[in-house]
Amino acid sequence: MEQEVTFRTEQIAAYARASGDMNPIHTDEKFAKSVGLPGVIAHGMLQMSIATVVAGKAAGGAQKLRRVSCRFAGMVQPGDTVTFSAEETEEPGKLVLKATNQHGDTILTKGVAEYSTED
Amino acid sequence: MSVEGKRYDPVTVEIDAEHVAAFAWAIGADPAEGVPPTYAAVYCLGATAPQLFGDEDAAIDFARLLHAEQEFAWERHPNVGDRVTSQATITSDQSRRGLRFVTLETDSKDPDGAQLCHSRALFVIRSGG
Repeated sequence: MEQEVTFRTEQIAAYARASGDMNPIHTDEKFAKSVGLPGVIAHGMLQMSIATVVAGKAAGGAQKLRRVSCRFAGMVQPGDTVTFSAEETEEPGKLVLKATNQHGDTILTKGVAEYSTED
Repeated sequence: MSVEGKRYDPVTVEIDAEHVAAFAWAIGADPAEGVPPTYAAVYCLGATAPQLFGDEDAAIDFARLLHAEQEFAWERHPNVGDRVTSQATITSDQSRRGLRFVTLETDSKDPDGAQLCHSRALFVIRSGG
């Protein structure tokens, strides 16, 4: 299962409002630069949430998911296109989650999802 | 200034339909599929992380904070209208080479005390300057 997402400032702002994570590094370009970032960056949790949507599709339903974990390894800026994937492993009910940007940089590492294989 | 071992007061939130719909829309989830699993970022992690960020003893420099790792484990996903009570503990708080690593673990339970979600968040705070 794979999904390509191009991040927009509007989506990052919508996630900020919906999640309540109002850290200005995600919404205020000037502020983000003042703390040494290249500009506003997407929330790690937005990246993880999209990866989890993909994992839910691979699992046959989001409500079947029992565990997800990942490491936020790279920054995502507006305009970046990220390919999220959830691949089956040899272990039943276990998926490997990956996210790679348009430059081929890995932005999520150690991504794993586990789901219930019961109906 | 390590606050390792500190436990915060429980926080209760209600899973609000409109809020869930806005969250689902922002992440591209199908709202018909129920509460998105990572809505735990709101009722579990999000309900308790502000206690850490606003803790004067912890003295977290929010502007220099990055979310480095996240894990959620669910016994059950909550439904819209459920009341969820979450309690957080700082299970690790260590500094090395100008970076501070803080792990916040949160457990969310339903009104009967049954486990819903466990969250483990690792935050890295860069030194100022």
